[in-house]
Amino acid sequence: MSQEYNPKILGFLCNWCCYAAADAAGVSRFQYPPNLRTVRVMCTGRIDPLFVLKGFAAGAAGVFGGG
Amino acid sequence: MAKKSAKREGAVMVLGGGVAGVQAALDLTELGFYVYLVEKSAAIGGAMAQLDKTFPTNDCSL
Amino acid sequence: MEAGRSPNIEILSNADLLGLEGKPGDFTAKLRLRPRYIDADKCTACGLCTKYCPKHLTDSYNEGLDITRPIHIDYPQAVPATYFIDPSACMHIQHGTCKICVPVCRSRAIDFSQKPTEREISVGAVIVAPGFGRVPDEALEKYSYGKHPDVVTSLEFERLLNPSGPFQGEVRCLSDKRHPRKIAFIQCVGSRDLGCDNGYCSSVCCMYAIKEAMVAKEHDPDCEITIYYMDLRTQGKDFDAARTRAEEQFGIRFVRSRVAEVVDWGENGLKLTYSTLDGGHHFEQFDMVVLSVGLDAPADAKKIADMTGIELNSFDFASTSTFAPLETTVKGITVAGAFQGPKDIPESVTQSSAAAALASGLIKAQRNKGIVVKDYPEEVDIADEEPRIGVFVCHCGINIGGVVDVPGVDQSVEGMEGVVYHTDSLYSCSQDAQEVLKEKIREYKLNRVVIAACSPRTHEPLFQETLRDAGLNRCLIEMVNIRDQCSWVHANEPDAATEKSKDLVRMGVAKARLLKPLPEQTVPVTKSALVIGGGIAGMTAALSLAEQGFSSVIVERNAKLGGHLLDTRYTITGGNTADLLKDVTARVKKNKLVTVLTGSELVNTSGFVGNFTSVVKSGSGKKAREQTIDHGVVIVATGARPHAPEKVLGRKLPASKKIITQLELEQRLAGRAKNRAPGSVVMIQCAGSRGDDLNYCSKSCCIDAVKNALKIKEINPDSQVVILYRDLRTYGFAEEYYRKARELGVIFVPYSLADPPRLGATSRKVEVTYDDPILGEEVTIAPDLVVLSVGMVPEGTEELSQMLKIPVNADKFFLEAHVKLRPVEMPVSGVYLCGLAHSPKPLDEIIVQAQAAAAKAAMPLVKGEVAVEPIVSHVNEDACIGCSLCASLCPYQAIEMIKVDKKRKARTIVASCKACGICASHCPTFAISMGGFTNDQIQAQIDAFGAVDDAGAKE
Repeated sequence: MSQEYNPKILGFLCNWCCYAAADAAGVSRFQYPPNLRTVRVMCTGRIDPLFVLKGFAAGAAGVFGGG
Repeated sequence: MAKKSAKREGAVMVLGGGVAGVQAALDLTELGFYVYLVEKSAAIGGAMAQLDKTFPTNDCSL
Repeated sequence: MEAGRSPNIEILSNADLLGLEGKPGDFTAKLRLRPRYIDADKCTACGLCTKYCPKHLTDSYNEGLDITRPIHIDYPQAVPATYFIDPSACMHIQHGTCKICVPVCRSRAIDFSQKPTEREISVGAVIVAPGFGRVPDEALEKYSYGKHPDVVTSLEFERLLNPSGPFQGEVRCLSDKRHPRKIAFIQCVGSRDLGCDNGYCSSVCCMYAIKEAMVAKEHDPDCEITIYYMDLRTQGKDFDAARTRAEEQFGIRFVRSRVAEVVDWGENGLKLTYSTLDGGHHFEQFDMVVLSVGLDAPADAKKIADMTGIELNSFDFASTSTFAPLETTVKGITVAGAFQGPKDIPESVTQSSAAAALASGLIKAQRNKGIVVKDYPEEVDIADEEPRIGVFVCHCGINIGGVVDVPGVDQSVEGMEGVVYHTDSLYSCSQDAQEVLKEKIREYKLNRVVIAACSPRTHEPLFQETLRDAGLNRCLIEMVNIRDQCSWVHANEPDAATEKSKDLVRMGVAKARLLKPLPEQTVPVTKSALVIGGGIAGMTAALSLAEQGFSSVIVERNAKLGGHLLDTRYTITGGNTADLLKDVTARVKKNKLVTVLTGSELVNTSGFVGNFTSVVKSGSGKKAREQTIDHGVVIVATGARPHAPEKVLGRKLPASKKIITQLELEQRLAGRAKNRAPGSVVMIQCAGSRGDDLNYCSKSCCIDAVKNALKIKEINPDSQVVILYRDLRTYGFAEEYYRKARELGVIFVPYSLADPPRLGATSRKVEVTYDDPILGEEVTIAPDLVVLSVGMVPEGTEELSQMLKIPVNADKFFLEAHVKLRPVEMPVSGVYLCGLAHSPKPLDEIIVQAQAAAAKAAMPLVKGEVAVEPIVSHVNEDACIGCSLCASLCPYQAIEMIKVDKKRKARTIVASCKACGICASHCPTFAISMGGFTNDQIQAQIDAFGAVDDAGAKE
């Protein structure tokens, strides 16, 4: 398990679209890889570039903005 | 209890606790009325509580 | 279901109506409350009693597909969340034995001494909404229902598809638990069936069959599904698109036919025999057959009628009229939902709101006299306290607990900074769990709460309410979504899902530490409405508001009120629309609370719910003048007009005086011309709709065609009327008229898009050529008149869409906030929708929708203020440098620049702010903070995201 590439991705999801869509994916039981850790925001416009940099600094393999 | 004996003004009886009855009850409270929601079975919800998903949003129907 | 939480809704379950007396405004209802045998105040819904109860009982909630016990609760989220004992099955109540549950219950809630009680309640108005009943079993017998376990009803199939159903959402044959390879749906079981006296169409079965078929396909893409139907009645808004998707994307097969029988075929499963239009008989093998059962009148319809005095129609549904669709024959009693006629959820919800508007108008003098205003305990001031966080991890039954190691997640927060209490619970959202939450908040003096459960989008309001009950500011909660976005989507990776849950909870706790109480804000409301459009929808809405005591201004573009109704003459039920229009117009003009501006148009609207300002231009040219109107809400009722098709049935429409529209025919038939009902008429349905110029179904054209055909036959019984159609959509009770038209000799011929009728015209005559499937050959006739059912198109919706920032769908009709649950509200608060601008529909549905819009629009007017979500932006004036970057970026015009001590500063207009945070992320001096999403909070989440890796604890 430790040998496997298992990156962690930090995601910022808009409450109205991407977060809602992620909920909908759940309701429909769509399966996807469990690498994403999410932060809910009320709009992707809330994402300060600083958050992205901080995310990488905290060890994210990728940062995802969904809106 | 006081509300059992007192004659209440501004109340509406809704007969049936399905989605129609529940919606009517909720709307009436928003319009400033007290509602007695009368349901013959043990719980409200009606047929909609039995549905899996509803078209087209596939929301959980509860 | 939020009804369980309202202090102004008293749920009287297990209750029967014994009688109703009195008059509008002053009724007395007598009720009998049957005992639950369980004390609702003591029951914690723990479920231990059900485990111990020795007797089995088929589970009616699961449509008899599962077993439960006489002591049970139907489903975990039930309201009231109290178990009950089914007296017909309980061994103690029936035989005086057993009583094993009594000592089992730890809270001593079981009480066999309970007796039925009677109670009288006084009410000003009554809304009857008992729903629908089951079609008689005889209607199902010829399909081997009850004889073969793999023949199920659509409701049973619904339970099979449901994750809480008997096979946890897997579709399996009840006979041997195998996955069915081939499933058939049979439509019109117990509907359009004179055999069981249900001559009407149940309206909903076609759509739910398609939905169930698509969901079943999602579960098992290899499964082959066939739907056997007579007419596919997907007349609802955007329903045809779903039907097309079912066929093209999901590969569901549709066969127009009548199913003769379904019989046991031994090892092959089931044999389904059907006949097609050409007279052919066929059979096919299936593993499972689903019967699309119709909606019958409720079983106790007659009893309700006896108790209340209302009249029923010939099918035992409530009797109402087209022009007053919800008013029963007893004043003060209105009807809503399927008891008014079979209908789907959005229409039921719309009727409920409309019925509420009627009741509200009837007893407006009593408004606010009976309600209980909920008192919240005073908010605890936590400003100086260190964070004391409580973490509650939810199993959600097996929804989370079946995948994620919930106790493990619960344990993972042990020792985290600020966490003073943590636990797991089976259903965090249940009523008793709310009590536990309150108790723990008090016991451990919690000042921050983290709930790891489902989505804050659905459940945050519920927990916020509980926090307020416990004396905490409602913003002191953080929800962590470990269901919708974790257990449900990583069902096959329990370890990874648990890991993800732990990470998310840790991030949630990190944010929770920094949560701050935010003040509740309210904005006053201008107590009047602007109604855009003076057709029957707009006028009905304005009148309904007036009856409820609120003023409105109707803005009508034309010189005359009436809209589309000006052009119609009569309804299928025989109502005279001109009389209706005259009556309604007169009432509007007479009503002091309604102002009418004809020849007027909306120029622009600004503001927000409670405080809109609109500019309306009246007149034209030099006489034009503009006026400004302040209003609290907007009702959009701009209507639609008949489509003028260029392309009909795939070809350009030839020009001929002998080709007219249904509306033109209606006007002609209502006139006095001698030859108004000529000897031969061909009607072509879906001319320009469903694939030509327009993609959608206009819902009312089939009913109009039948209406006019009957009128022709009434005037000229010898006239030969042929109706060429694709699916004849005379849904609901209109089906009766379809039958009558056939009896009178109107000829109905279906056509398919693949081979549509051809229309030819010369200067003197018109010709229609079509395939007659019964004769099996092509027929050409030259009728006196060709009548096109052209459908309806919206008018000016795009312009208004931009002005009010409200969306339209692909067909340019306005798109409501939620098609099922908020059918007359727009996504923009304070804007409501009704009439043809929503979608094409018959008159009775328009009237109901207008009343519903008036109910919703009256809500902010009744309250007199609107509450603002506390998460809006806030500008720190000390840090603001007045650059106005935020004001220029704000998509909602929610930031204004003001002068403070002669310096420019930004300020949030709280009622307009949607809390998107664009301003905060762009502010060069970090002067803007977002309630509940501050920089600190989000950064804490990011830090917590990385925390475990830093510590090297992972691997």
